Amino acid sequence: MPMAYNFRIIEDCLKCSFREQRLFCDLSREALIRLQNIKATSIYPKGALLCLEGQPPRGIFVLCTGRAKLSTTSSEGKSIILRIAEPGEVLGLTAAVSGSPYEATVETLEPSQANFISHADFVRFLQEYPDVGLRVAKQLTHNCKCAYGEIRSLGLSNSVPEKLAKLILQWAEHPLELAVKKPQETAIRVTLTQEEIAQFIGTSRETVSRVLTGFRRKGWLRVKGATWTILNRHALEGLVTT
Amino acid sequence: MNTTPAHNQAANELYTLLSPELRAQLASHERCLTVPAGTQLITQGVPPDQLVIVNSGKVEITLACSGESVSLDCAEAGKVFGMRAAISGELPEINVTCMDSCNITTVPRDVFLGLLKAHPETYFAVARVLSGDLQIADRILRNSARRCSPGQRRMSKPV
Repeated sequence: MPMAYNFRIIEDCLKCSFREQRLFCDLSREALIRLQNIKATSIYPKGALLCLEGQPPRGIFVLCTGRAKLSTTSSEGKSIILRIAEPGEVLGLTAAVSGSPYEATVETLEPSQANFISHADFVRFLQEYPDVGLRVAKQLTHNCKCAYGEIRSLGLSNSVPEKLAKLILQWAEHPLELAVKKPQETAIRVTLTQEEIAQFIGTSRETVSRVLTGFRRKGWLRVKGATWTILNRHALEGLVTT
Repeated sequence: MNTTPAHNQAANELYTLLSPELRAQLASHERCLTVPAGTQLITQGVPPDQLVIVNSGKVEITLACSGESVSLDCAEAGKVFGMRAAISGELPEINVTCMDSCNITTVPRDVFLGLLKAHPETYFAVARVLSGDLQIADRILRNSARRCSPGQRRMSKPV
């Protein structure tokens, strides 16, 4: 199997071992064969732009490996991170279905593989295969549920420490698998810069830095490069009131 | 609730993408009603047994957050509600309340799911409706949630 950036390139969707775990990709054999014919596999370095906010929809991207940030620009011209897409997610779906421009700019946060399907091929694929329609509906339902959760969270969080604690705990749902792991500790990989974290929770980089320093001093968190270790989960959870 | 003749139904976000044949199939199961202001069309946590199409009037979409109600949007004729719950079987997370007297059409969930099974091409129309819901949620996130100061962050006054 070919490699790129230390990950295996998944060229054949029929042989993808992650397929069953992913919301969109767990399709019938017939649909997968068709998908294999209409998708174009690309490998992107960190920082690659898959699509731009406001651009007419060219098609969708199935994120196979890596993560990507979805960002937009506020009415005041500031950059806002809407969310982080994880492997298996379909990007550009709303635009492709509704025919409206892309609603967010998608930028890879790490080396990634994405399968591109053109708009016309995707619409045909959706109409021809019932299970594709069902998967798309489920993905949209899931995205909507996440967005409602985010609105609830943002609408009720009052302090930056609370929002940052929430974010860290959210990331901790996908912990790093370490060979040596201490009980009560959770390691996570954080590829966002402090500026990006600030964009994500609606504050300034300086405030993020100050709050993180506070978490470290209290012994709640250890930060070593991109690896953050939660040392006192209970304390972080205690900050979350909503 | 008063039963009144349907009007302007073909203009809703679901029916515009259905063939006349499929619309005719649904028509025999539809119920058209006029409901007064304050009627709750969709209630958070209560499984809807029908799709609700707003033919006329204005409705408010709200999201409950720890006892408070956050206004997401106001919708008018053409909006379809209950699709997420119909497709996923999950309970609705939003409330939809009539702001004034509304004319609505209801389609039983089972009838719609039966149509979907027999005509899977209908999923495209379903995806379009769900995309509309997602666009509303994303718009709220974009406009209100991220960059405001703590004092401004609450998205709207509780209703």
